[in-house]
Amino acid sequence: MTLNRRTFLAGAGSLTLLGSPLISARASQLKKRNLVVVMLRGGMDGLTAVPPKDKLLQSARPDIIVKGTISLNSDFALHPKLETFYELWKANQAAIFHATNIPYVNRSHFEGQDLMESGGHTPYGESTGWLGRGMEAAELQGLSVSLPMPLLLRGGINPDNYFPTRMRLPDQALMQRVAATYPEGSSLNDAMQRVLHRPMSMMQRVDDRDALSLAGTAAEELAKEDGPRVAVFDLNGFDTHAAQGGEDGEHGEMLSKFDGIVRILRNRMGNEFNNTLVVSLTEFGRKLEQNGGYGTEHGYGTAVLMAGGLVKSAKVHADWPGLASRSLYDGQDLNATIDARSIYCAAMAACFDVDFRYIRKHAFWDETLSDVTESLFRV
Amino acid sequence: MSKSYFRKVAFGIGPDEKLPNNAVSWAKNQVDAVPDLTWQGEIPSGKDLLTRYSKWVYQDRKVLREKHKKDRKAYRAAKDQLRLEVGERYFENLELCIRHDAALNSGAPVFERLWMFWCNHFAITDKDFMPEFTTGPFHRETIRQHMCGNFTELVTAATTSWSMIHNLDNSESIGPNSKRGRWRRQNGEVATVNENHARELLELHTVSPAAGYTQKDVIALSYIMAGWEHPHSKKRLECNPVKFNPDSHEPGNHKVMGKTYKQRGLSPKSKLLDVIKDLCAHPNCKQFIAFKLCRHFICDEPTETMMQPIIDAWDATSGDLPSIHKALLDVAWANSDAEQKFQNPEIWLLQLVKMTGAPWPPTPKEMTYDFKSKPNKRQRQPSRLLRDLGLSPYRPTQPNGFPDTAPEWLSPELLIRRLAASREIGFRARFDLNYDDVVRKNFDAPDEVLSHLHGASSQQKAQLLFPSYWMLMA
Repeated sequence: MTLNRRTFLAGAGSLTLLGSPLISARASQLKKRNLVVVMLRGGMDGLTAVPPKDKLLQSARPDIIVKGTISLNSDFALHPKLETFYELWKANQAAIFHATNIPYVNRSHFEGQDLMESGGHTPYGESTGWLGRGMEAAELQGLSVSLPMPLLLRGGINPDNYFPTRMRLPDQALMQRVAATYPEGSSLNDAMQRVLHRPMSMMQRVDDRDALSLAGTAAEELAKEDGPRVAVFDLNGFDTHAAQGGEDGEHGEMLSKFDGIVRILRNRMGNEFNNTLVVSLTEFGRKLEQNGGYGTEHGYGTAVLMAGGLVKSAKVHADWPGLASRSLYDGQDLNATIDARSIYCAAMAACFDVDFRYIRKHAFWDETLSDVTESLFRV
Repeated sequence: MSKSYFRKVAFGIGPDEKLPNNAVSWAKNQVDAVPDLTWQGEIPSGKDLLTRYSKWVYQDRKVLREKHKKDRKAYRAAKDQLRLEVGERYFENLELCIRHDAALNSGAPVFERLWMFWCNHFAITDKDFMPEFTTGPFHRETIRQHMCGNFTELVTAATTSWSMIHNLDNSESIGPNSKRGRWRRQNGEVATVNENHARELLELHTVSPAAGYTQKDVIALSYIMAGWEHPHSKKRLECNPVKFNPDSHEPGNHKVMGKTYKQRGLSPKSKLLDVIKDLCAHPNCKQFIAFKLCRHFICDEPTETMMQPIIDAWDATSGDLPSIHKALLDVAWANSDAEQKFQNPEIWLLQLVKMTGAPWPPTPKEMTYDFKSKPNKRQRQPSRLLRDLGLSPYRPTQPNGFPDTAPEWLSPELLIRRLAASREIGFRARFDLNYDDVVRKNFDAPDEVLSHLHGASSQQKAQLLFPSYWMLMA
């Protein structure tokens, strides 16, 4: 939003706060492609979202098996709450990468969520996120639809966030005077400059703050030619230790929220949805076996859901390890046969129009990640 | 002297208060005893609120859903009526009043800051309807009442409380070889432990992952914890006080972090108490808590030098909380000039209220509620304002509580909330407020701050001072 020409001129006196002309130049030359990352906090269960057609799943989860699933192919089905996702699948605009995860096996939400956002190996070891670093390398800006700024976006160029309030702001002149007390170059000052240069549509008082109405605002901003190219959503509630349930259980409810975000983006972005990619991100999957409370425990491998016009074709990508106990991780979890960071690196390469290796170098320290860009995305 | 100390460890100095002569002894004198809550209105007991909660869940799940299963509209209307009867929209606001009244008026603001710290350390996440009914009393009755004893007692009380057991699903935990486990298997049902609570007890409440425990340790601790549950009853469902149930407990000895825990005496429940004692005496536990205290009160990246006196005090007194708190207050003073911290939204709000004498929280009279109509706007203001600022103390989303470092609280949108709140609350500052006096009492470079306010009307002064750099940092 600060990359539009008008605000760029308005901020020309304080160039460092808004990004260099180079950034603006790159952003305006580039065909606009949008990347939307939806964080599914709590441990999204790939075996519930995209259940394999395997008797072993039935026997491990007698009480929480999802009924009425939608068949995707001979091996996999889809949770019935992922309705929009399935419509997109039929239009070749949705795909799944199964049996994958970030390289983290220790089952702690906090460590896992830190790593899914930082992209590193040591919990709390990084102060920036993979998306922030990728955007900085590609010289692009993003918007987070959440109240705090997620780690995922940190390290980028003045990332912005949006979450409507009912309160009114002081007038501009007073805010300018407040801004003058913030040290130049401090992140506080950066945040203040974002506030001062915010478009009016985002300054209005809004009462409804559920995920869907936020998705509407994000869709409008993303659809703009000079709007942000990256948006991040935060959905919390996938940690279903109890009452995970089948098709109408807690996990289904959460998947339905994810599906709602995809639906709003598709409906409101118009043609821009064709130049958009939505990917899911979670800290880990859940154990194969159900627990005593009709829920599941923290696990390892899970699925990544991908939707939007930049998806190459409707396909379940997987080097499927199977659910036999010898192929489970630690004897308990679906294994991850590919580092999920490969998918995110490819998503950035496709959306930011930069080489996979370039992004890998800047966002993931040149680690060994396989280039899956061409097989997953339209480039 | 460092005036920011009074904001670092408390909420600043109010218009009618004098600057204490000796900041450190002023602070240390506040942590030996639990001050009474100052709220003059109703303070409902945890027992009563658990009963209200039980009515809410029982009526909803067992009565209304059944009665109106074919008519969604009727169901909604009945549920809204129930909401009013049990005070579902009321009690979180009342709890915030009780909390903020204590912070502003108990005469021991340093204790109140520490209370907030420990409530956040033993975070009860926004789950089911806990913020609406039970988290407030958990803070008042479980955390607050154990802050002047030993750390072990605090951990034990929190771990075995209804709130923590329910929040971390320990009632779902069934030892595979327990009586219940065997019955369930005979009926073809699954019987396993739920590792959640055991994991958080290690990771978040005591030793932290730095202690290097393994998945085996977590499972062994889950076995030891199995049986600590809230009994289920027909009319109150899960809303019954925690009782150790030997039928769910995994029998036998279990090894956690290299030590085998055996049953002492007749009841296997002693095993958990023994583990907690050892976890609390573990070097990583002291290190972890010292780090968290320094990070909350001093700076985002505390040094070993800051942490050491706190660890020493812990060692010297085997975990006596007032001694630990006093060591912290010394360290905070020693670093008061050198270190600054970005203040989280709730503490910032309370500082703002303290300094301006704004009418906050709502009065007991304003909070008088009839359980018949929707709470009025003023009665709903506490939860609304805190949510707008981005920190609803009864609603952390994760069991590790609210974060304590600047980047987490620093985003354009969160800044907007501070700007807007400064405007709203500034309008309600005491009419005779002397900003010169406020600034001279609370800021270390008053002339610089005053020149920033120069020429502004008093309503503008609030909007200029409270979101300013000097106020956001302490």
